[in-house]
Amino acid sequence: MKKFLAMLLCGSMIFGLAACGGGAANTSDGGSDAAETAEAGEATHKVGFILNSSINDGGWGTACYTDLTAAVDADPDWELAYTDSLSQDGYYDAMVAYCNEGFDLIYAPGGEYTDAVMQVAEEYPDVKFALLNGGEDIPASAKNENVTCLLPDATQIGWIAGALAGLASETGTIAFIGGMELTTTLAKYEGYVEAAQYVAEKEGKTVSALDAVYANSFDDSSKGIEFANAMIEQNADVFFGDASAVDSGARQAIDEYNEKQGEIKVFDIAQPADFLGQNDCIIGSQVTDNSSLLSLVLKSVADGTFKAEVTYGDLENGVLSIGALSDSLSKDVQDKYLAYIEEMKNGTFMS
Amino acid sequence: MLGFLSNIIYATVRMAVPLLFISMAELYSERAGMVNIGLEGLAVIGSLCGFLMSFITGSVWIGILCGALVGILINLIYAYATISLCANQIVYGMAINILAPAVASFVYRIYFGDGSSLNQISLMKTISIPGLKNIPLIGPLLFDQTPMVYLAIILVIFTAIFFNRSKAGLNYKAVGEHPKAAATLGIPVIGTKYLACIICGALSGIGGAYLTTCYSTTYTEGIVSGRGFIALAAVIFGRWSSGGILIACLFFGLCDAAQIRLQVSSLSIPYQFFQMIPYLATIIVLALVGSKQAGPKANGNPYRKEER
Repeated sequence: MKKFLAMLLCGSMIFGLAACGGGAANTSDGGSDAAETAEAGEATHKVGFILNSSINDGGWGTACYTDLTAAVDADPDWELAYTDSLSQDGYYDAMVAYCNEGFDLIYAPGGEYTDAVMQVAEEYPDVKFALLNGGEDIPASAKNENVTCLLPDATQIGWIAGALAGLASETGTIAFIGGMELTTTLAKYEGYVEAAQYVAEKEGKTVSALDAVYANSFDDSSKGIEFANAMIEQNADVFFGDASAVDSGARQAIDEYNEKQGEIKVFDIAQPADFLGQNDCIIGSQVTDNSSLLSLVLKSVADGTFKAEVTYGDLENGVLSIGALSDSLSKDVQDKYLAYIEEMKNGTFMS
Repeated sequence: MLGFLSNIIYATVRMAVPLLFISMAELYSERAGMVNIGLEGLAVIGSLCGFLMSFITGSVWIGILCGALVGILINLIYAYATISLCANQIVYGMAINILAPAVASFVYRIYFGDGSSLNQISLMKTISIPGLKNIPLIGPLLFDQTPMVYLAIILVIFTAIFFNRSKAGLNYKAVGEHPKAAATLGIPVIGTKYLACIICGALSGIGGAYLTTCYSTTYTEGIVSGRGFIALAAVIFGRWSSGGILIACLFFGLCDAAQIRLQVSSLSIPYQFFQMIPYLATIIVLALVGSKQAGPKANGNPYRKEER
């Protein structure tokens, strides 16, 4: 009897796990589920999306998911499934699962997926892969020529945030929180610091940046809280980050600090979507419109013109832009900031 | 300097409290001979439930209560399998670690759908004692905290008295030391083990719920971030005593708070060095403290009533 009960319990747990595991891979809100779509005879292509944070992280994950959803919603030939909150050892398995289910395209939004993407791309030559922020040499090094890289200009992303930080900082100390030390994260930090210092100098003040800190995580918001508290203690009054849910934690700590002060004295610049209004401390956002790049990739896969190439995104071609600015910034600061953005667009910034 | 010190102590307490609840959960479990490595999973489901119920009802207290209840519910699977069916405790603990986060992820997605907006709640308010909270260093530490921090301190004191100064506590410990001898004295071994699992589930769930009702305004799947496993180390470091566990949790909290502040201090030392500190400290401390067996003697062993 006990053996039977033990087997029953194990069975129910395995059944439960299978059901819950299935819950992690979902079809998007925008599209109907696979069976319904097949019946309707609409979607003929499938894109799988993997993410190491959550689509609800209020930062990177949210923006990447929203961009892909927008691209898929605009094209009735495509349907979307995603798996989020993956740990590093799950990247490969999640992609292989999509490949085995006949997905046409897999989208991995970050340089940290590069190794797993290259491995799966080699094993599944018929599946196409789109890697956001992959290296410039990645498409050429993919043996089956089935990897394309979308490469928003990380330095310009840093500039967009840095120019605003240089204008807004009153203490002269700015901060940056990274998830992991990725090449693109380093480029963003360097661009952020150099632009802030350049703009501050032009405004007749001095700005210095605290060393970039790394949470070693993209989904531990408590790390963001502690980092922000520690950096505020070091006089930092403008924050920028590249750490998904960790950034959300940092914004919480900044809001709590501002509440204690009775006014907004410490600011945050969000990325990669317009998050103005999500937290009181957000004064502006750097926006990356990956949906237009993704639309091109979806179209090329559907009509068979997919190429292993790098597609760049910058202010000039409209992939990078700025979000709405907070009313807490004076009209003068807003005007100056917009002028610096124009300089970035026409290539005269810091030249 | 005083400011730096007081901030680091304050951060230490913030980081130690959830760990303390989860470690105390393991203490109650192991004192009845139940090694439960499923703390991480129980804390994850507790954090989700705490957040979700606070979000729905607007009351963090209901969130904490529901976190405890769901922790009990999930841990009863472990209890039934390991106590009634005498299954391996490590295997079922690991099963809980896989099952509970998956259920949490599933429930979150069911409730909030595929929407990508950030869902936030209001955190539990701190209770300040006017005047006393302004005492340098210890003022904010002791007199400006959430009720959950005071509850954690009371729990430590109660546990120390219960296990060392009460007959019920000694009976409880006897189940973890020598269950057959305990049974001959009329102590309900099975009942005590189930009670241990209920307490363990409740405290783990509260530890998880603390993270989303007193610490972070959002729920993210990585919010527990290995605290369930650190709690296992804290119990060994604390030599299975509530006072020892309190010191262990404060030590781990201090290591984490220190590595964050040292990273920020721009000392021109690679940040990876500071990130190593909590792990390095854990290895060193366990090597020093964990050399002698001090845990309950029947820890991890199934109890078969009729077995000779």
